[in-house]
Amino acid sequence: MVLQVHEVMKRFNATLALDGCSLEVEQGEVIGLLGPNGAGKTTCIRCIIGLIPIDEGTITVFGMHQDGRNKEIRRKIGYVTQEITLYEDMSGKDNLAFFASLYGMGKDEIGARIPEVAAIIGLEGRLTDKVKHYSGGMKRRLNIGCALMHSPPLIIMDEPTVGIDPQSRSFILRSVKELAKRGSTIIYTSHYIEEVEAVASRIYIMDSGHIIAQGTLAQLVARIQGDHIIEVEVRLGSEEVKSRLLSLPDVKEVVLEGNRYRIAVPAGIPILDKILGAFAHVPLVSINTKQPNLEDVFLTLTGKQLRDEVKS
Amino acid sequence: MIGFHLKRASHDLIGQVILILFPLVLIFFFDFLYRNIGIETGMEIGSQNRATVLAIGFALTFQIYASAMSFETLSEDLFTPMHDRLFSTPAEGRSLVLSVLLSGTVVSFMQSCVVLVFSILILGASFPYFPLVLAIIFLSVLFNQLLGTVLLLFCGSPKVANIVTTVYGSVVPMLVGLYFPLPKSAVFRFFRLYGTPMSLANTASLGVMEGNWLQAIITLGPLFGLSVVLFVLLKGLVRRVVV
Repeated sequence: MVLQVHEVMKRFNATLALDGCSLEVEQGEVIGLLGPNGAGKTTCIRCIIGLIPIDEGTITVFGMHQDGRNKEIRRKIGYVTQEITLYEDMSGKDNLAFFASLYGMGKDEIGARIPEVAAIIGLEGRLTDKVKHYSGGMKRRLNIGCALMHSPPLIIMDEPTVGIDPQSRSFILRSVKELAKRGSTIIYTSHYIEEVEAVASRIYIMDSGHIIAQGTLAQLVARIQGDHIIEVEVRLGSEEVKSRLLSLPDVKEVVLEGNRYRIAVPAGIPILDKILGAFAHVPLVSINTKQPNLEDVFLTLTGKQLRDEVKS
Repeated sequence: MIGFHLKRASHDLIGQVILILFPLVLIFFFDFLYRNIGIETGMEIGSQNRATVLAIGFALTFQIYASAMSFETLSEDLFTPMHDRLFSTPAEGRSLVLSVLLSGTVVSFMQSCVVLVFSILILGASFPYFPLVLAIIFLSVLFNQLLGTVLLLFCGSPKVANIVTTVYGSVVPMLVGLYFPLPKSAVFRFFRLYGTPMSLANTASLGVMEGNWLQAIITLGPLFGLSVVLFVLLKGLVRRVVV
């Protein structure tokens, strides 16, 4: 077992940031940690690394107890921060070399490793440029590279693709898959469901400081597999219609997001006419039925839309 | 690590040039002013020429501002998300802070040296026992760097630390008499010679140049003691911000 987080509680004054958070990570897994802003993902990661002390529970990394002082644990973790944490006035190479030196790597070792990491992050030929001249995507990739220099067996990536172009995002996702193929264990947190779907072998869904569901993508989708999702878009969404929908037998859940209703119903039940009846005198814009995906799982479990959380 | 931070500091070329050019311009300006308007600097001159004393005064003054540059660097590491990146590594927090402090000390000392050397070459300053004067300058640099770092860690905000340093860097040279003569009372005399860390360094330098070793030792002792106190304080404060 690479990592075991057991019933961890963490408070920041009156705010309960982690509320009995538990998760386990096996060797070679790519774990997707999915949750809206404020779910506790970054707090959980900071506790795992030992950057902040926990109030209750235990964290074990590679069989070692995380008490915040264990340097050996830190040596085994590569942490990709959510924000870009690079020295902008220095070159990409300087940054890679500096962060590697903090792990006790020697000059020769660093010199040999830089081209390898440059190849992984696709920055060969640009490493002598100052970071301030890089594009956002290049900075993100270098941000990842700095965490890879010491070849850590556990890589923790906290929202590594925030604010970058689709090309860079897809490059990063390919790099994550490549690292996973080489046997790295990865924890990947994101707001972006499709990213987690693309890279994770197992997914933890987090909300309000605790894990509310976990499993492979197939297992999670199977939790609501018996349901169909009907999406109805109207000119103006109202709570009144939502109440009417919820009062219908067989309607399992209704989520109203702006002008869009997302209605979960059991598969195979002819209920569309009743649903349309609930929208009597309400001008409809569109109706759509679909099979559930991870986004639906997330919505069903949390009642929240990840992207909207990001925008807000 | 120190090599990296030295390289990092050297990238702020404009800042470094300002910290060298500005004191030189001011030394020239005040020397010109005092020579032409018939008043004398408020600083102790002894048997030295005015440019020499002004050079020491401005070198000591700009060390205070140089310390602000160092804690800007340090605050980038300690009070931004860089903190998490740095302290997620096995590197000792104390070493990280000390390496920034040390590189800042080296850069600031070099700036002071350049100011003194240019003063010799351009303004006709001369420094008897130059190596000893440089040693005092180094101690003063170290003190100012420690003071800036302690201030930053104590305030927890580079903005507040910057304001305090600016006020300190403006008031203290006045008390030494660098900008204008001070009233000839015992209180002002005390401030001019011993009342501030800059006065201590200034009086010690003058003592060395005049061959007044007792005066040098009397003033260097407290400056050294204050530096030790700041270092002890720093150790405690570092524990607060590092993991």
